[in-house]
Amino acid sequence: MKKYLVKRLLQIIPVLFIISFVVFVLVYMAGDPVALMLPEDASESDREAMRAALGLTDPFYIQYFRFVGDLVQGNFGTSFRYNQAALPLVLERLPATFELAAASMVVATLMAVPLGIYSARKQNSLVDLFITGGSVLGKAMPNFWLGILLILLFAVNIQVFPVSGRGTIVHMILPAITLGTGIAAEMTRLIRSNMLEILNQDYIRTARSKGVSSNILVYKHAFRNSLIPVVTIMGLQVSHLVSGALITESVFSWPGIGLLLVQAVNGRDMAVVQAAVFVIALLVIVVNLITDLIYRLLDPRINYS
Amino acid sequence: MTENLLEVKNLHTHFFTENGVIPSVNGVSFSVKKGEVIGIVGESGCGKSVTSLSILQLINKPGKIVEGEIRFHEKDLTTFSEKEIRKIRGNKISMIFQEPLTSLNPVFTIGHQISEAIRLHQDVDKKEAKQRSISLLRKVGMANPERQYHAFPHLLSGGMRQRVMIAMALSCNPELLIADEPTTALDVTIQKQILKLMKNLSNELNTSIILITHDLGVIAEMVDRVVVMYGGEIVEENDVYSLFENPKHPYTKGLLNSTPKIHQLKEKLQSIEGNVPTPDQLPSGCNFQDRCPFAMDKCRELSPNLVASTDGSSVRCWLHQEKEVVNV
Repeated sequence: MKKYLVKRLLQIIPVLFIISFVVFVLVYMAGDPVALMLPEDASESDREAMRAALGLTDPFYIQYFRFVGDLVQGNFGTSFRYNQAALPLVLERLPATFELAAASMVVATLMAVPLGIYSARKQNSLVDLFITGGSVLGKAMPNFWLGILLILLFAVNIQVFPVSGRGTIVHMILPAITLGTGIAAEMTRLIRSNMLEILNQDYIRTARSKGVSSNILVYKHAFRNSLIPVVTIMGLQVSHLVSGALITESVFSWPGIGLLLVQAVNGRDMAVVQAAVFVIALLVIVVNLITDLIYRLLDPRINYS
Repeated sequence: MTENLLEVKNLHTHFFTENGVIPSVNGVSFSVKKGEVIGIVGESGCGKSVTSLSILQLINKPGKIVEGEIRFHEKDLTTFSEKEIRKIRGNKISMIFQEPLTSLNPVFTIGHQISEAIRLHQDVDKKEAKQRSISLLRKVGMANPERQYHAFPHLLSGGMRQRVMIAMALSCNPELLIADEPTTALDVTIQKQILKLMKNLSNELNTSIILITHDLGVIAEMVDRVVVMYGGEIVEENDVYSLFENPKHPYTKGLLNSTPKIHQLKEKLQSIEGNVPTPDQLPSGCNFQDRCPFAMDKCRELSPNLVASTDGSSVRCWLHQEKEVVNV
């Protein structure tokens, strides 16, 4: 187990190198930052001087190595907009994003587990049809549309929730529902199909023949088995959560890393873009690692040696 | 004569599928006495397993018991509520299944699964259940039971898992053990061990056994009385010696002829022509008529009744019908 963990952690290093390259190339190709930094009436010689001062006249690979050299020291450069180091700026937004992500996962799980199980137990009933149809709808609704509609309904027409911002738990409810609905839809369908398959397994019949009641059969014997693929999907949904956070945070002005990234892209604040993309990528990697570790707890057959 | 522990009377189990009703079991009646081992034999698809699952009401939708009684200690199990039948399952009547590899839950230790069966039916605490599970594991011949208690099923071989199933099935000293092809998925040498284990334990605890199999070798070794099924019906019933000595029904004869015999190696192995008809495609008249070498015109028109003779055997065949008394 320890060996496996060390191996997985070492594997992160080359991945981070690839990410650093991609992040650098994106910004390299995004255009001349000097155009934005200097006033419009600056002369061409001023621009040249600025480029030389920033090292932008150096060849591509020198610029890249300089970028990596700074990066390993945790230095992504300075944000033009905030006039601060980019990395701390990104990191201080993380708690807000974590909060939103956790809340949406809770919303998604609270919706998906009972709906998925109920739907499987009442297969082909009207309720099952309704839940399955609803999950297709939930998956199909774009985040920005659902977010805006929820604001219109529950913050403007019926004023029970605040329109935007972060602060109390009440602020969290609408964004969490917005972000959680798509994930809940995916999870519901998965739990339903898993449960249906598992309820036909031989070991379920064995448990029934022992005299196990149908509730314990479902919630103990079947559910634990159905969780394994669900955890996979939850792990994969984290990247979905990040892209969803960009939109959801923008819609609700939620001061997280997503909103920061969108604003940085709009403002061509490249140091912040690089730092944010890098941090998000690292998060996705770490979450995937945690997912793999959770498998082991759920399924004794998986052995990482 | 000892009293009947279990009496199945005129059992009909049908499956209501989209393509119509499939009558898997059609009027099966038999009984099991205390301490008796009976065998149910037949090819795949003849209704053996459905019969056994019907006894504990384990038939899943779209299957349903449409007619008949299953009397256990004189009480009809088909009238029991789900809650009442749960108290019978695993307690008074328990089952062992064919597939030891998939019959244990992969995410719980074997000890947990045995303890669960014990705690469902007996008022004992966790510690006591664990002690009993370990002694059961020892009883079924598991080496190092204290350690194996914490093993997950995937770490055990098929034979070991079947031992676990037996330990689980016997955990509450059931009066009846239904073993549905318990050795089919196992190696021949392991088969022998498992059968011996079942036989010894049933003698020790005076448990009755219904052994379902298509293996006549297993039948010869284990059972007192044999029920031969074909097409969802019983075609012959007799004590094991008479059946092997003097099979009456052409199907039983066919089954016995298609068993290899060690002294007749030169002969080509015989088989019964044709395939078992699926329950929705049974022929008119006798179910076996289109595969029967002795079929007469009468067989193609009318289905014979199961006729009991004075020696305790019964057979469903026109060849034996006229001579004997009709059983109603």
